[in-house]
Amino acid sequence: MRAVTADAPSPRAATEPAPVVVESAWKRYGETDVVQDLSFEIRAGELLGFLGPNGAGKTTTMRMILDIVRPDRGTIRVFGEPPGVVHSPRIGYLPEERGLYRDVPVLDTLAYFGALKGLPRSEARQRARRMLEEVGLGDVLRKKAAEMSRGMQQKAQVIATILHQPDLLILDEPFQGLDPVNAEMLRNVVLAQRDRGAAVVMSTHRMEEAEALCDRILLIDHGRRLLYGPLREIQAAFSDGAVVVHGEGLPPVETLRSVTAGRPVDGAVRLSLREGASPRDLFHELAGTDARIDRFEVATPPLDEIFIRVVAGETRRAGEPRGADGR
Amino acid sequence: MTKTGLRRSAALVALVARRDYLRTVRRRGFVLGTLLIPLGAAAFVLLAQLFNPTDDPSQVDPTVYLVNESALELRPDPRSPRVALLADRAEGQALVASGEAKEVYVLPPDYAASGRVERVVKGWRGTEIERVRRQAIEEQRLAEYLRRSLVGGLLPPEEVDRLVAPLAVQEVGLDGEPAPASEIAAFFVPYAFALLFMLSIFITSGYLLQSVTEEKENRAVEIVISSVPPLPLMTGKILGLGGAGMSQVVVWVASAMALPRWSGTAIPGLSQVNIAPAVLILAVAYFVLGYAVYSGIYAAVGALAPGAREAQQYAGFLAMPAVLPLVATAAFLTDTHQPLVIALALFPFTAPAAMLQVLALEETIPWPLVIASLGGLALTSLLTMVLSARVFRATVLLYGKRPGIREIAMVILGRA
Repeated sequence: MRAVTADAPSPRAATEPAPVVVESAWKRYGETDVVQDLSFEIRAGELLGFLGPNGAGKTTTMRMILDIVRPDRGTIRVFGEPPGVVHSPRIGYLPEERGLYRDVPVLDTLAYFGALKGLPRSEARQRARRMLEEVGLGDVLRKKAAEMSRGMQQKAQVIATILHQPDLLILDEPFQGLDPVNAEMLRNVVLAQRDRGAAVVMSTHRMEEAEALCDRILLIDHGRRLLYGPLREIQAAFSDGAVVVHGEGLPPVETLRSVTAGRPVDGAVRLSLREGASPRDLFHELAGTDARIDRFEVATPPLDEIFIRVVAGETRRAGEPRGADGR
Repeated sequence: MTKTGLRRSAALVALVARRDYLRTVRRRGFVLGTLLIPLGAAAFVLLAQLFNPTDDPSQVDPTVYLVNESALELRPDPRSPRVALLADRAEGQALVASGEAKEVYVLPPDYAASGRVERVVKGWRGTEIERVRRQAIEEQRLAEYLRRSLVGGLLPPEEVDRLVAPLAVQEVGLDGEPAPASEIAAFFVPYAFALLFMLSIFITSGYLLQSVTEEKENRAVEIVISSVPPLPLMTGKILGLGGAGMSQVVVWVASAMALPRWSGTAIPGLSQVNIAPAVLILAVAYFVLGYAVYSGIYAAVGALAPGAREAQQYAGFLAMPAVLPLVATAAFLTDTHQPLVIALALFPFTAPAAMLQVLALEETIPWPLVIASLGGLALTSLLTMVLSARVFRATVLLYGKRPGIREIAMVILGRA
């Protein structure tokens, strides 16, 4: 499966302020504060993972950026300005509840969506045709959505999101319901868009996707920010200092001065360090033995573990690293 | 909103309007609905003509063939040119047998004493209605001819005329001026236009409802609304689908006007109706504003309802005020100045249908009422559009959920 074409980055993207800046946004529905004092930004050329349990306020926040919903308090800037219709041609949106017109040929639907994003009708049609052909849907251009398989519809929906080569891509649970083939296509699309300079924000429940794709993450619950920053820094902050060693002939744990305990993990050994000891100390210690070391890495907790720990309130707000923006 | 924003919104309105118009008019259901009604009417007229060939001169202007076997002296009369005297019964029978005459009348020898007239017929293949109608004309002509012949020599010609046609009633008013030929006809046609206007408002609003619920059910609405804000989206839909509905109405009205010409039949009373241009302009204004009010409401209903079926139910309920003035037609016919009529004319949701009737019935345009009613309607249409856009924005993305009254009220008040 080939990824759909990513054009050259927009020249505007490099010189402009961060595509999205959210500052102390609040949104209340009835008696519930769905978003509370939420601040973050999405930068050009990065992929921000927007994580949180169901009902955390992710979709509402995305809709506020899109100006579908207005915040009660706080400010949102999109390309340096308040959100609004003028920015729509620069934004691509894949909603969680996505669909196509069932009784309209898919090419017509995509051309219409492209035109809504400011493309001239003929160009929108031309691009839609080219992209559909690129993802192997060249023979169903005139087919109505109702006559297409779910997988085909998913591909068409992804194309609708990037048809106009947006500078900001907002993806709400993009991997939900995708078959493995389409999930792979979407991964390629997302990375290609980021690499061409687009800012991408993606909400997801699939931690392995977030871990594999995201540069930074924003974790919220009950509308509040719990974690925000570069993925690696967050993982390092949540690390218990353990080291995973792959190799043969490792000495018994009791003989290692810098180690308190060890346990086998997937063909390797996970060694917990004594207080005050560093991975460097352990590395030197092992180097002085006859052990053959194939791989030596600081153990970082998987993102789903961090998610569960944080959301469960185990370490609420503790250990949140400061983002690059200083917040 | 900035200039760029306004320009972009206007472009989006045009885009949505164009797309919704084309999509609707290309639908099989729309094409069938638009064409079937005039085609059905044409087929009906055609069938009626097949069984009722009224343009046959022997049917509409028949000649009366008469054989006189009585002792009366009958001569051809230039004032009864359609009565032809035959020499004898045999000649009449031959005409009937050959089909040249459908029937021949014979005054038997005892006619003067009995008044009996024989009608010689062969058999009739046409419809019974045609036969009865033709024979009624023939009998009237024959009676007229016989009256003239019986008294012709005894009275002056003008008295003979009065004997033959003693009544020619003409209605006059208290001022002595002739009354209009038919007030019922004069009311009926504008009333029919009021009905047509209301029908077209609901047809077009129905398309709007269908479009919104469909986009919601397809889940395409969120993609659309992320590109087009609610107000331009609603405006584009209202214009596009209004255009589609109007196209349909124009086809119907045009065919209704063309059909009588094509078929050679006239609509009774239509020729007597004279609609003033000002009334026509006001009628269009009421139509446009009425459509704006109801389409705004219908768009909001489409956004609110969890599905198409519920949306239809809500819409049916909300349409009731619009038809109220048509139900209360008796009040309009009795007195257009009574409180009920004034109230219906001023209440924005009943104003279009009420005012179209008032304008049809009043001899002069009641300008104070028109201004008050149009003003109220214009304000309401503006308010409806804005509030409907709020409801649309807040509820169109509540898939499968039905917001409560309190929630809707909060949305309308701008507190949600």
